[in-house]
Amino acid sequence: MLKTIIFIMTFLMAFPAYAVDGKKLLEQVDRNLNPESYEAYRKLINIEPDGKRKEFTMYSAKKGQDKIVVLFLAPASDKGRSTLRLGDNMWLNIPNIGKPIRITSLQSVVGGVFNNADIMNLDYSAEYDVEGVSEAAGNYLLLLKARTKTVAYDRLKMWVDKGKKLPMKIECLTEASMLIKTLYFKDHKDFGGGIVRPAVIETDSPLYKGYKSVMIYAKIKKRSFKDEVFTLTYMPNLESLR
Amino acid sequence: MKRNIILLFILLLFFPAAVLAEESYTFDAAEIEKKPYHFGGYVELRPVMYVLDKDAALYKLQYYQYPRSTLMEWNGRFQLEGSYEKGIGSVFVKTNTDLRYSSFANGNERTAIFDGYGTLKPSPSWKFEVGKKTLKWGKGYAWNPVNFIDRPKDPYDPDLPIEGYIMATMDYIRSFDGPLKTFSFTPVIVPVYDHINDDFGVNNRINAAGKVYLLLYDTDLDFIFAADGSRTARMGMDFSRNITTSFEIHGELAYIKDYQQPFLDNAGVLQSRSQDVVSGLMGIRHLTTFDLTTILEYYHNGMGFSADDMKNYYNYIRQGYNRYSSTGNAQMLNIAQNLATGGYGRLSPMEDYLQLRLSQKEPFDILYFTPAVTVMFNLDDQSYNITPELLYTGITNLELRLRAGFIRGSRDTEFGEKANDYRFEFRVGYYF
Repeated sequence: MLKTIIFIMTFLMAFPAYAVDGKKLLEQVDRNLNPESYEAYRKLINIEPDGKRKEFTMYSAKKGQDKIVVLFLAPASDKGRSTLRLGDNMWLNIPNIGKPIRITSLQSVVGGVFNNADIMNLDYSAEYDVEGVSEAAGNYLLLLKARTKTVAYDRLKMWVDKGKKLPMKIECLTEASMLIKTLYFKDHKDFGGGIVRPAVIETDSPLYKGYKSVMIYAKIKKRSFKDEVFTLTYMPNLESLR
Repeated sequence: MKRNIILLFILLLFFPAAVLAEESYTFDAAEIEKKPYHFGGYVELRPVMYVLDKDAALYKLQYYQYPRSTLMEWNGRFQLEGSYEKGIGSVFVKTNTDLRYSSFANGNERTAIFDGYGTLKPSPSWKFEVGKKTLKWGKGYAWNPVNFIDRPKDPYDPDLPIEGYIMATMDYIRSFDGPLKTFSFTPVIVPVYDHINDDFGVNNRINAAGKVYLLLYDTDLDFIFAADGSRTARMGMDFSRNITTSFEIHGELAYIKDYQQPFLDNAGVLQSRSQDVVSGLMGIRHLTTFDLTTILEYYHNGMGFSADDMKNYYNYIRQGYNRYSSTGNAQMLNIAQNLATGGYGRLSPMEDYLQLRLSQKEPFDILYFTPAVTVMFNLDDQSYNITPELLYTGITNLELRLRAGFIRGSRDTEFGEKANDYRFEFRVGYYF
């Protein structure tokens, strides 16, 4: 508790109040990253210290503030697996096992540094309150606090490109301000439909020394879905969305 | 300069991946292109060595003609699957071939279509399916007492695919705002005739079953029924809920009407009893901050045998073995073998079980490595089975699993009378 107070006090003293509306800025960041409802193709690469790689290709569909599904397209051992997130509820469906089982945000269905919350990420403004905003080296620094205990990371420090209103780097912290991982947003790309955003997210973690995971976006497209797509019963049928 | 080139050469020779690790990431559009068809498969080799318990009743039943101390078994599995999708329709087929060779049973092979069905999806709310498939009802990890339609899964390897039944099903899904987020209804028709699901139950019947699913107050709820037909009427419910982000509870309750159970009385005479039975399961799944997953489940099997029933069965085998040893007459042992397929030989034949599974993901920063240990405890007779295992999935599409089984129990107990004391198994599986 004392550490938290010291952290907030230090932050407040170091950075005097700015006229920027942090909540609005975070919402802008969310909308610049993705449309509220969209479909996307991503590749996730886990890189081990010796350079060995394991790759996963995924299709994802998101609707509104709290609904996202992810379907694994490759490798063959994971093809057909799917995950569903409805707010704080998360499930994993493995075709052979058949029935969806509940999973948690801190687990990882792919191994490596990215966990389920990173793969099934909702809007930041849906999960976090802005505790502070400041300018750091010509960019914005947002200090975010999780709204509930169920969010994977209690605190985030988000460096935002002042001009593009897109994240450059995010540090994910525990309640005691211990660094869990850092996300680096790279390679801005025009995906069409007015979506210009980083195509690559790299992450490393002091908990996985020498390991790195990378998420690459190939396609993002605004698309609306029926609510029924985001249900346990629909999970085995996600391939038909593509 | 020359030294640097030599150094670079050595580096490239021994650590090529490390040098290439900084290359830019590629994502070819062909990787995500959707094709109307899909082909894939899985091939597996699984040698198993059994160290046999020569005093056990099930050893005497199985090996009375060919006594031995150990048994080496070679198992193979080959699965092929394919699908084709056009518009709102699709078809899916999955075949399974099991091969087994041992010096005891020689070689045998069985090929079956595990799944083979057609689907029509006119909208996200409606789906119609006809063909051979599994339903996988229930929330339990090792057992599913409410899974009234499917073949039972192996509680010692619950993730194995199982063969489906021919059926017609439908899904209707509705989503809502508010505490009830999802409602879905799945009615099922299972016909049983000559050559169609003829191992399901009584012949010449059309069986009706169904499941209502609700996501209510962040809790998964299923209400399940199966009407009287090839099997007696049964109904049940299950639930699953996260109490915290890392702590899940689940349970199942099943009521089965007029369950007919053949059993041996203490005089070794075959009897049958009919009774309404209740089966149930309660379980938890917990994940620690250091990625240790604990699954603990208690299972009450209302269709199971009591400790006295099992004792009568083991006594019957011993009497049969003694008769065979003195006269060469194996009639009693043949009857005992038939009774094994009729219920005594089920994977969980008794009434009360506890299963604890601990699995540690990626210990010592070894990516894709998961050691685990599973303890199956029979609460009726205090016998148990401990299964440690090591799983490695670090090579794309390849799965390596090393497993052992330590089976303990006194005479006349389930695990004490198993044919083997130990088993060692190595499984290599490759997906393509």
